[in-house]
Amino acid sequence: MAMMVDETIPDFDCYGSLTTSINTTTTTTTTTTTSSSEDDHSCTWNDWWPVVDWDDFTGGDNFQDLIESMIQGNNSSSGNYLYNSISSEDDSGGMMEEEYPEDSNNNNQSEDINGLKLVHLLMAAAEALTGVNKSRELARVILVRLKDLASPNGATNMERLAAHFTEALQALLDGAASGTLHAKHMFSPNYKDEQHQGDVLAAFQLLQDMSPFVKFGHFTANQAILESVAHDKRVHIVDYDIMEGIQWASLMQALVSRKYGPPTPHLRITALSRSGSGRRSFGTVQETGRRLTAFAASIGQPFSFHHCRLDSDETFKPTNLKLVRGEALIINCMLHLLHFSYRASNSVASFLSGSKTLNPRLVTLVEEEVRPIGEEEGFVGRFMDTLHHYSALYDSLEAGFPLQIRARALVERVFLGPRITGSLARIYRTHGNDEICSWGEWLGDVGFLESNISFANHCQAKLLLGLFNDGYRVEEIGTNKLVLGWKSRRLLSASIWTTTDTDL
Amino acid sequence: MFHAKKPSTMNSHDRPICVQGDSGLVLTTDPKPRLRWTVELHERFVDAVTQLGGPDKATPKTIMRVMGVKGLTLYHLKSHLQKFRLGKQPHKEFNDHSVKDSDRATSLELQRNSASSSGMIGRNMNEMQVEVQRRLHEQLEVQRHLQLRIEAQGKYMQTILEKACQTLGGEENMALPARTFKGIGNQGGLIPDISAAFKEFGAPPLSFSSFQDLNICGGQEQQLELHAQSSGMGERSSSFDGFMNLGNDSTDHNLSLGRKRPSPYSNGGNGNGKSPLMWSDDFRLQEIGGATGGASGLGPNNEDDHHIIQMAPLSMESSCNPELDSVSDIYESKPILRDEKKFDAKLERPSLRRAPQISSLSAQGGRNSVFG
Repeated sequence: MAMMVDETIPDFDCYGSLTTSINTTTTTTTTTTTSSSEDDHSCTWNDWWPVVDWDDFTGGDNFQDLIESMIQGNNSSSGNYLYNSISSEDDSGGMMEEEYPEDSNNNNQSEDINGLKLVHLLMAAAEALTGVNKSRELARVILVRLKDLASPNGATNMERLAAHFTEALQALLDGAASGTLHAKHMFSPNYKDEQHQGDVLAAFQLLQDMSPFVKFGHFTANQAILESVAHDKRVHIVDYDIMEGIQWASLMQALVSRKYGPPTPHLRITALSRSGSGRRSFGTVQETGRRLTAFAASIGQPFSFHHCRLDSDETFKPTNLKLVRGEALIINCMLHLLHFSYRASNSVASFLSGSKTLNPRLVTLVEEEVRPIGEEEGFVGRFMDTLHHYSALYDSLEAGFPLQIRARALVERVFLGPRITGSLARIYRTHGNDEICSWGEWLGDVGFLESNISFANHCQAKLLLGLFNDGYRVEEIGTNKLVLGWKSRRLLSASIWTTTDTDL
Repeated sequence: MFHAKKPSTMNSHDRPICVQGDSGLVLTTDPKPRLRWTVELHERFVDAVTQLGGPDKATPKTIMRVMGVKGLTLYHLKSHLQKFRLGKQPHKEFNDHSVKDSDRATSLELQRNSASSSGMIGRNMNEMQVEVQRRLHEQLEVQRHLQLRIEAQGKYMQTILEKACQTLGGEENMALPARTFKGIGNQGGLIPDISAAFKEFGAPPLSFSSFQDLNICGGQEQQLELHAQSSGMGERSSSFDGFMNLGNDSTDHNLSLGRKRPSPYSNGGNGNGKSPLMWSDDFRLQEIGGATGGASGLGPNNEDDHHIIQMAPLSMESSCNPELDSVSDIYESKPILRDEKKFDAKLERPSLRRAPQISSLSAQGGRNSVFG
């Protein structure tokens, strides 16, 4: 989506350094309104009433024009700097640019301006919630306004995105007001429990088809696993979060049809299950096991399935695993795939460090790629970054399925919305300081070694992306990581690690 | 070093007699028996090394174990391995990438290594050619494998969907004719709405593949019905807004029963297990063409209602959210012919895109520019 550029800043990375420019603008606005006395915009918050005179709030700035232009449906009237700056942008990150030809530029721009407005408001709300001039009231008012403007079924990406963010902020506001941040908001799983199973299933199917995220994670990991066990007769995979076990279908197929090395190795999968109330998508771990077993039987893959329970606090005890001599041990850790629940840091850390003691042959890790944010940016900085991240996600879905707005809205509602809420809650709780930004880094720190991504793997990723939209990119970072991104924004990374090899 | 087996290439030190021992090793008969690395022996050596993960990972001890050749000592292996490693050094990089080709590549390289230094330039060119060819070949392999893997995943998803379908169907009380449609979602109050809304719309036009094989449940028979019916759905309101304005879910249920392009790798609708992302789309398009022909009999009659009702259940409607977010309305926006064409174009795009890719692979070009 196009964003406003301050005139002094010539160009920028669409999903990146937006913060600076908008910060200036919004801060000005906020300051104006909250500094009570001196200026003529005497917006005295002390005696505000629910119906706010928006002119005062915005300091009489262009929002009025924006609203008008929105109503009129084009923005030709507002020959203001916004128009100029938008049209002068030449970056290709615009949400609409791919799909709309030149002549509907007008529509573009009014949508862009609306989008901008929403971003401004969101930013203002975030600021109000946690910024220097913290004001719950202000935040509340802004959120009310946002709710007016943005609906989860809105026609534009930005609108729906803003609606979800608004919801998330609202939850924070409520939680903060009542003094408790519900676990519900921190960890998205519970949200999903409330949703109809059919919805979740449908949304997942759609997600699979609309975007390469799921396949990218699975296939990259699987290819690395295949290469690593090329000469093994027994393979044991410990899966941190097996969900429906979809990843393993294609691995089995590949194992069954491998041409070199010993014939189809025996595959053993141990799935970890949590005793707490994690999100159960549509079945339990046991069901997944049954399904996998049936599938394996259908293609002739020798297979056995095991189940390992995590403690209630999700500590992983390696001794609970049943290991067999001579098998190649693989640790598979999929985090943050869009349809996954969030897993707490301590759980993941416990799992990964426990795994290290087992000396696995390979560790495959797929996680969200998040831009590291400096501490000084705090909540608002992370908030904006999260906004960019999800807007890139939304855009990527739209690019693939431009007409199926309902479909996307479903995916957004079922998966992305709860994630947004969860993310924001976490950021809020930690005041913008990350617990752990990148598990890959953590693995490196803890002593795992990087393991090369092969040419074949990289090639496969490229081919996979080729089946989807052009905007997806895969980059190879370092020697052991592939990152899937949309335009200039990195979204998901898959990396492989190993432990020091003992003499085979 | 790699020596041919012929005695004539022997070292001048040795007497021209080679003795083959019991273990199959060829030893020279001079006072200090030296092991002759024959072709076969060397190949076994290379196999063992590859099995162990490459010359860097393999150790003489492990090689010995793996090769299982009697009479072979650590000493032999150590020196041979060292030479092997040195010989491989410049080519290590691309050898890592392809396990399966490494054997062949290795022996080629070794041969080259033993050539004189004046052949170096020639060697480099050869290497490059080999490298390039190898990469091309590998890429084709990757492509093929990718397709198979996607299909496998699709099949698995199928089992999930079927299972879920049954589960959800069992939960709902379907008072519908047992057309093998499992009921999903709540149709209760929607049925009258659906039929009413459906009647609003005109005759079935071309629908396009979105409705095709949702195949969430039901067998092939239904698939065809779906096709036929859904052709009715296609021509609906003229724009997305029309959908939105409809206000109630019902109509939307009708709409998007099908999947959109890369759809369940189902064998229901199109019967082939091909990569859903590509070929099945085209296939479905053809099918729909056929189905549409059969759909002409569908008119606004009771039968329609049945169909409609039948289709409604497919919408996995969220009972808690009356607004529509169900699978059915997902693919709603295929209403106009105009849009359909656009969509068709999009459908085809993937396949078109594929073709150039494949040919471009051999032309060493390619959209994805695999070489860098």
